Amino acid sequence: MGNYRFNLLVCAGTGCVSNNAFKVKTVLEKEIEKHKLQDEIQVITTGCNGFCANGPIVVVKPDDIFYQLLTEEDIPGLVEEHFLKGRPVQRLMYTPAKDEAPIPKMSDIPFFGKQQLIALANRGLIDPENIDEYIALGGYQALAKALTEMTPEQVIEEIQAAGLRGRGGAGFPTGKKWEFCRNAPVTGDSSVPGGNGDSPPAAEKYIICNADEGDPGAFMDRSIVESDPHALLEGMLIGAYAIGASHGFIYIRAEYPLALERLTQGLEQAREYGLLGEGILGTDFSFDISVSKGAGAFVCGEETSLIGSLEGKLPEPRVRPPYPAQSGYMGKPTNINNVETWANVPHIINRGADWFSSIGTDTSKGTKVFSLVGKVNNTGLVEVPMGITMREIVFDIGGGIPDGKKFKAVQTGGPSGGCIPESLLDTPVDYESLVQAGSIMGSGGMIVMDEGNCMVEVARYFVSFTQEESCGKCSPCREGTWHMLNILENITQGKGQEGDIELLEKMGKYIKETALCGLGNTAPNPVLTTIRYFRDEYEAHIREKRCPAGVCKSLITYSIDPENCTGCTVCAKNCPVACISGERKQTHVIDQEKCIKCGMCYSVCNFDAVRVR
Amino acid sequence: MAKITIDGRDLEFEEQLTILEAAKKLQIKIPTLCYNEHLDPYGGCRICLVEAATQAAPERSRLVPACTAPAADGMIVVTNSERVLASRRFIIELFLSRCPESEQIRKLAAEMGVDPNGQNLDVVGQYLLKRAPKREATNCILCGLCVRVCQQIPERYALSLKERGIHRRVTPPFEKVAESCIGCGSCAYVCPTKTITIEEA
Amino acid sequence: MKLKPEDLNKIRERMKSTSRLREAEGKAKINVHLGTCGIASGAREILHTFLELVEASGADDVLVTTSGCAGLCKREPMATIEIAGQAPVKYVDLTPEKAKKVFEEHIKGGTVVKEYALAVGSERLG
Repeated sequence: MGNYRFNLLVCAGTGCVSNNAFKVKTVLEKEIEKHKLQDEIQVITTGCNGFCANGPIVVVKPDDIFYQLLTEEDIPGLVEEHFLKGRPVQRLMYTPAKDEAPIPKMSDIPFFGKQQLIALANRGLIDPENIDEYIALGGYQALAKALTEMTPEQVIEEIQAAGLRGRGGAGFPTGKKWEFCRNAPVTGDSSVPGGNGDSPPAAEKYIICNADEGDPGAFMDRSIVESDPHALLEGMLIGAYAIGASHGFIYIRAEYPLALERLTQGLEQAREYGLLGEGILGTDFSFDISVSKGAGAFVCGEETSLIGSLEGKLPEPRVRPPYPAQSGYMGKPTNINNVETWANVPHIINRGADWFSSIGTDTSKGTKVFSLVGKVNNTGLVEVPMGITMREIVFDIGGGIPDGKKFKAVQTGGPSGGCIPESLLDTPVDYESLVQAGSIMGSGGMIVMDEGNCMVEVARYFVSFTQEESCGKCSPCREGTWHMLNILENITQGKGQEGDIELLEKMGKYIKETALCGLGNTAPNPVLTTIRYFRDEYEAHIREKRCPAGVCKSLITYSIDPENCTGCTVCAKNCPVACISGERKQTHVIDQEKCIKCGMCYSVCNFDAVRVR
Repeated sequence: MAKITIDGRDLEFEEQLTILEAAKKLQIKIPTLCYNEHLDPYGGCRICLVEAATQAAPERSRLVPACTAPAADGMIVVTNSERVLASRRFIIELFLSRCPESEQIRKLAAEMGVDPNGQNLDVVGQYLLKRAPKREATNCILCGLCVRVCQQIPERYALSLKERGIHRRVTPPFEKVAESCIGCGSCAYVCPTKTITIEEA
Repeated sequence: MKLKPEDLNKIRERMKSTSRLREAEGKAKINVHLGTCGIASGAREILHTFLELVEASGADDVLVTTSGCAGLCKREPMATIEIAGQAPVKYVDLTPEKAKKVFEEHIKGGTVVKEYALAVGSERLG
């Protein structure tokens, strides 16, 4: 805790915060500075202590004095009496019950305790179908502040100073992107006809929310739109004001019906309150949003393809420059951001750039939401400060690998990303460090793998995905991924040849260099990183025709161990191709010619007698 | 006046130019397939990729398509480095693998020093020309010129690209005879591999 | 009605009396988490169970609300129970039977059902 005379722990649990804990903290810090005590007293926020009925709570260490039910008015007196004059203030004190709570506190459970919510601040608290509940927790205050107290340029400066970077994966500085669009000259004809669906009004500048979220295993954006659609809307409103856009689009994938429903309701309720439309909050700022549904193309997550789709054209990437900030939807300056990026904006406006940039690392500020899935105990959605290590996420927050299995790798960045092996578990999670390790942050998918995952099959799976989703415009991606897929399929079927690893490496590098857009540029990544860290698995498949993880069907055999087999006949009865023979109470045998490797015998055997090799 | 350097030779220019146009003025030849000077550039075939760097960071060069990349003041472009030639060979090998019978592709490959019969190629070229699975024969390289010319010149939109990825192909809308086709023959004229032909009705 | 900035605070104040137990006259609040993860594992049934139990008991001081995913998707269906004056409690892996027990023992009886509860308190904001 450093050389401070006192440490003041301000509870930042959602309960206390909704009772103004952050405001109390701000006043506390001001009063401490006023009395020039900032070198002796440190103020930090902590997770919930469980005393939610008595919040806002401040705990004074090392004295272990609890102050409760604090208001901003209490603070000047408290600082003067306790910290200047040394007299703790009885009337504000709280004595927590002596016996330990029988149930752990949220902050004691690593899954929750290590998270820090910004984009997901309202999660689990509000009814997403009721805008009043969003407002009750401080919603739309940031919009009011931006519209009535800040100029558009000041809003952009604040976002730049905060250091917010695009959360969709590329990590481009958001404030800079907004500035480009704000400064872009307005082009041509204002009476441009609208695009796909309901013809939106012509505008001089547009903003777009990319809610296409195509990475398999990623559901961060879905969760934000389902659980807190107004966080997205408020962010877009502030962005539109800053950029000078009068119309916006939300492009959401059609595979998210619940999110679409809640979003549509949210838009209607916002319009009823005049938070969208003409003259918002009594100012002369006007803005509205149209929703457009995707139609099942991963490539539409790429911004120029998305714009093409919005315009009613074929979704294929366009040459850049010109970038969308200069010439986007219908040739007009357009700013596109991801859902999570927009959701961070109201918090930055409310609490300031200094606060936001105090979280995270030097180059990666703030928090990131990850969907933690796969072979991990606590699967779910986690929002953590940038700079936390992969190890903490997988083992502390994730609770480690179930069934006593051994960690093998964590795949980040979806089909554009790579695998982080055990040796790199202490990699901090931020944009640059993940790239150095051979992966990328991506949109936030985090798939944990154990010894039962075959890394060659993982590469094959991702390449089959990108190959299926390739738009087909450029030959390196269209043809190149198809060739890589064929080679990988051969390897997983035992038809790999010596030299195939070098072939994949070289072809992957060529494709990365020559492809037109991000889909093609990054499609080889899963192959290249699995070769980099798990070359031995590739070699086993090619040289020994063996799958060490026991996954690739053509390379594994199911056999019955005579030591454990009791002859109970359950396997034979369940085999779909009737290829297991044996008398009652005699060791059974699988006919390898007929076996289809379905794994049924393995799953029904109660005596652990089936071996997969 | 802006200045661009291509293969060590300077060009001063005032108007907006792509790298390809600037190279033409210097009589430096860069191969193209999906480019046509009368149509908006597409950047799809990737055969015109060249290395481009800025004065500020000359060692951090990127491969950019010459047909679409704007020439910028102080830009340093190289069209014949090993990196550029290797990428060109890769692209033509992909096309050879896709359209082994196309005369024009075979000729272009030979000009680049890539043997259409697969001799003396690196491991990638060997695979693409010898081991890669054979597909349905076609000479179409999906350069999109036919689609784009029909959109831009007669503006009849009689051809489109259908499906995505490896299944992509050029067809009239709904695979029927296009009602809007006026038989102008622009598509056959621009096709680099003469895949589209004009017949008497 | 078109809002002015000061209206936002008015709505906040008004909502305090319905959604925040400290100011409300309510005794308990049941918050069932209805994200896609919850719905897929049966949260709607849990919601109906609670609604039926509240109605059958005739209690008029128990709020039943819904919210979105609470983050720990693995342990859905989840519900957060809050008794006035106490910290909220997160229950996980709920079934209609467990929901009944929670209603009887925690909401009516005031005792947390330890074996179904994951944790007390709230999440940490940045």
